[in-house]
Amino acid sequence: MPLFFPQEDASDVRRRYKPDVIKGDMDSIRREVLEFYASLGTEIVDKSHDQDTTDLHKCVTYIRDSASGLDKSNQLCVLVVGALGGRFDQEMGNLNVICRFSSMRIVLLSNDSLIHLLPRTYCHEIHIQTSVEGPHCGLIPIGTPSKSSTTTGLQWDLNNTAMEFGGLVSTSNIVKEEKVTVQSDCDLLWTISIKKL
Amino acid sequence: MIAMDLMHHSSCFLLPTIPLQRRPSLTYALLVLNQNLPRFTPLLWNHAQLHLCADGGANRLYDEMPLFFPQEDASDVRRRYKPDVIKGDMDSIRREVLEFYASLGTEIVDKSHDQDTTDLHKCVTYIRDSASGLDKSNQLCVLVVGALGGRFDQEMGNLNVICRFSSMRIVLLSNDSLIHLLPRTYCHEIHIQTSVEGPHCGLIPIGTPSKSSTTTGLQWDLNNTAMEFGGLVSTSNIVKEEKVTVQSDCDLLWTISIKKL
Repeated sequence: MPLFFPQEDASDVRRRYKPDVIKGDMDSIRREVLEFYASLGTEIVDKSHDQDTTDLHKCVTYIRDSASGLDKSNQLCVLVVGALGGRFDQEMGNLNVICRFSSMRIVLLSNDSLIHLLPRTYCHEIHIQTSVEGPHCGLIPIGTPSKSSTTTGLQWDLNNTAMEFGGLVSTSNIVKEEKVTVQSDCDLLWTISIKKL
Repeated sequence: MIAMDLMHHSSCFLLPTIPLQRRPSLTYALLVLNQNLPRFTPLLWNHAQLHLCADGGANRLYDEMPLFFPQEDASDVRRRYKPDVIKGDMDSIRREVLEFYASLGTEIVDKSHDQDTTDLHKCVTYIRDSASGLDKSNQLCVLVVGALGGRFDQEMGNLNVICRFSSMRIVLLSNDSLIHLLPRTYCHEIHIQTSVEGPHCGLIPIGTPSKSSTTTGLQWDLNNTAMEFGGLVSTSNIVKEEKVTVQSDCDLLWTISIKKL
C-alpha cells in the first residue's frame, strides 16, 4: 500500500489502510505484520484447523455469516483482489468459490480483468462503465455445457447459442453498447477487461 | 473398470537434460505468446525442435531473452534464440522486431484475415498441419509459454484450445504452474519430476461435470468421486508419490506447481 503513496510516510499509509479483519490459517502472514495490525485493533480470526476449504472460501463464509459493521439493509457485494494469476490450481479453486456461493455477489479483480458469476436463474443487465472497463469481454460456461445462451450488446452476440469447453466459448468478444444483456440455461462467468489508465 | 490404453506424462522438458529412455519419445515444439517469458524459457527452447512466436510473442522474445543472459551482448542472444516461425495477425509485433527476425530468416506467416480463432489456436493448427522440420516419427508435444495470466477471457480461450485439440499433447506453462489435458479416453500415468515440480496440484473438470474420477498417488485421492464447478473441484491437492494415476469419465485439466529454484 505505501508504494501507491510514495510521497507519504509508509507508517501513515499503513495506519490509514488498516484491515478490519485478518482471517485464515496464518501460515503466510509475517509475524511483524500480524503484530502491527493487531496492535492497531484489527480482529485476528485464526481458522488454522480447517484444511478443507481455501482462504477465499473461509473469508466469504465469514463475510456472509458473521461480519459486523456491514449495512445489511443493502445487498452485499464482495470485491476480491489477488484471486487470479499465481498457481493455477488456486485460481481454479477461487473460481469454484464464486460458483459455489452463486447467490452472493462476488467480483474477482486483477489489473487486467474482472470476473463475476451470472446465475442462470436471472436475466442479466450489465451496465458497462466505458471509462474504466472494456472493450474485451467473454462469457465462460465454466463447469457445465450451455445448451442455449442469448446476449445483446456484444460484437458477436449469442442467439440461443450452445457453448462448452471443447467447442464454442465466447472469448475475445467486444462490448458494443453501454448495456449488455445475458440469459442462459447455465451459470456463466462474465469477464471484462479493465482499462489501463 | 473398463480397460483402456495408458497415456504417460512426464515433465522431462523442465529438466536440464531429457533422459534417453524417456517413454514415449517426444518431439517438442515451443510456442511463445504475448506475456512475460517464464524464467525457464531458455531451457524449454533448448529441448524444442521447432520455435514459434505468435505475433506479440516475438516482442517478448526480443525484449526479454537477453535479460536471462545479462553478461552477453543482447544481439548475440537474440540471434541465438531466433524463432523458426512468427505467425498471427501481426497487430502486436513491433516493426523493428519483425524486420530483425525476418532478416535472420524467420518465416513470417501472416493470417490477419482470420478473426475467428485465437493466436494459440492458429499456431497449434499450423504446428499440427504444416510445420516442417519436425521429426514426425516421434509423438509431438507443444510447449506453450504466455498463455496464462493477463486478460482472463484470453486465458479461458487458451484453455479452450487445449480442450478442442484434445488428441494433441499441449502443455501450458507459467512461472508458477503447468497445465495439460487428460483426455477421458485414456488411463493416465503422470511421472512426477520432483526436482522441478510439485507438490501442489489439481484436477479440474473444466467443461463438464465428472460423475466419476479415480486417482492414486495424491494426498486426497479420488475414488469414483464426482467433481464439478459449484461442487467439489480437486485443488490445493498434494502429490505424495512419484507416479500419479488418473482415470475419469470426462476430460480433466491436470495442473501442478513448478518449483522456484
